[in-house]
Amino acid sequence: MGIELDTRGGPTSGPYYEDFEGFNMPEPPGHGSRRIPRGDFPTGPEVGTRLPDIVATDQTGRQVDLHADRDGQPAVVVFYRSAVW
Amino acid sequence: MDAYRAAGVRLYALSYDEPDALADYAEAHGTTFTLLSDPDSEVIRSFGILNTLIPPDDHPWYGLPFPGSYVVDADGIVVAKFFEHNFAIRPGPEQLLAAALGQEFQVPTPAGDDAADRVSADVRIDGDRLPMGVTRQIVATFRVPEGQHLYSEPVPDGLVAAAIELDDNDGILSYEPVMPPTSPLTLSGSGDTLAVYEGDVVLRLPVAQNARNMQKDDDGRFVTISGQVRWQACDDAECFLPESMPFSFRVEAGFPVLGDMGPGVGRVPAMNGAQHFQRLIDRRAGTETRAEDQ
Repeated sequence: MGIELDTRGGPTSGPYYEDFEGFNMPEPPGHGSRRIPRGDFPTGPEVGTRLPDIVATDQTGRQVDLHADRDGQPAVVVFYRSAVW
Repeated sequence: MDAYRAAGVRLYALSYDEPDALADYAEAHGTTFTLLSDPDSEVIRSFGILNTLIPPDDHPWYGLPFPGSYVVDADGIVVAKFFEHNFAIRPGPEQLLAAALGQEFQVPTPAGDDAADRVSADVRIDGDRLPMGVTRQIVATFRVPEGQHLYSEPVPDGLVAAAIELDDNDGILSYEPVMPPTSPLTLSGSGDTLAVYEGDVVLRLPVAQNARNMQKDDDGRFVTISGQVRWQACDDAECFLPESMPFSFRVEAGFPVLGDMGPGVGRVPAMNGAQHFQRLIDRRAGTETRAEDQ
């Protein structure tokens, strides 16, 4: 899929960035430039399919197999930017 | 988090951070849900959601996902997903939990003598806070009596479509409304075909708070969102007068964990991520000094 960079937004006064919809947010110094897709972009597994296996280390150093760990419960799985910055 | 635990819904959050960075984060913020570490973005890649707009040589940022959330049922099947173009906007925890539970909003129960013959409506906001960058929805619910319908946009002059309209709330943005499916109705007079809602109808309007340029009261701790719900009910023979229901919700402005920007209920000082960020850069540059080697 060819993904297009959304260049409609831009910095406003001070350390702020405003997207094309008018959402205005801080853009602290040292953060990377905004790389927001325009139009279609990949969003991974489709609704109705099984969530692929996720095996990863958690904050306590434990290896977590998500589907085993949730133990038959429903789950919300969030992919986010970073806990560090 | 208590609401998730009570509902029996697990919560996981995955990022490209190292486990010890996540440990510091969890300690700083009292995180009780599972933070998953994907330092080489293997999971992110396997999901096909690596942000390929970031070039590989832009190394602190390369490896980020297009951010979003999946909701899976007890069998592990994806039942909903939420992805926004702008990573700074995301759905609120109430929306994710409601999706996990398959919850629908309760439609209002009619009251009054003639209630059964008239549309009853209600409007609420699906949360009690509006932190910057986290959307909440204004939810309008209607019970439409048998034989009557409401209109969806677009409508010809003289008819009012069911909609949630915001006043000019300084600093509040609204997004594409979430509408239920419509059915076609052909007018006998003009032959025009219009899209109508029947039965129980739920309209949702996602709203977000801007970082600046907005009016907040009580030392910035609260924000007010006002507007009105409009609708007009018709049956096959006639239309009733248009109706409207004003609303004004005053909710905590709140602040997201990372936006340590000023006063507000729920404000949490961010941890000092500088050392973890330095390690991230070092690791990418191949000059990493591992903690156990020090």
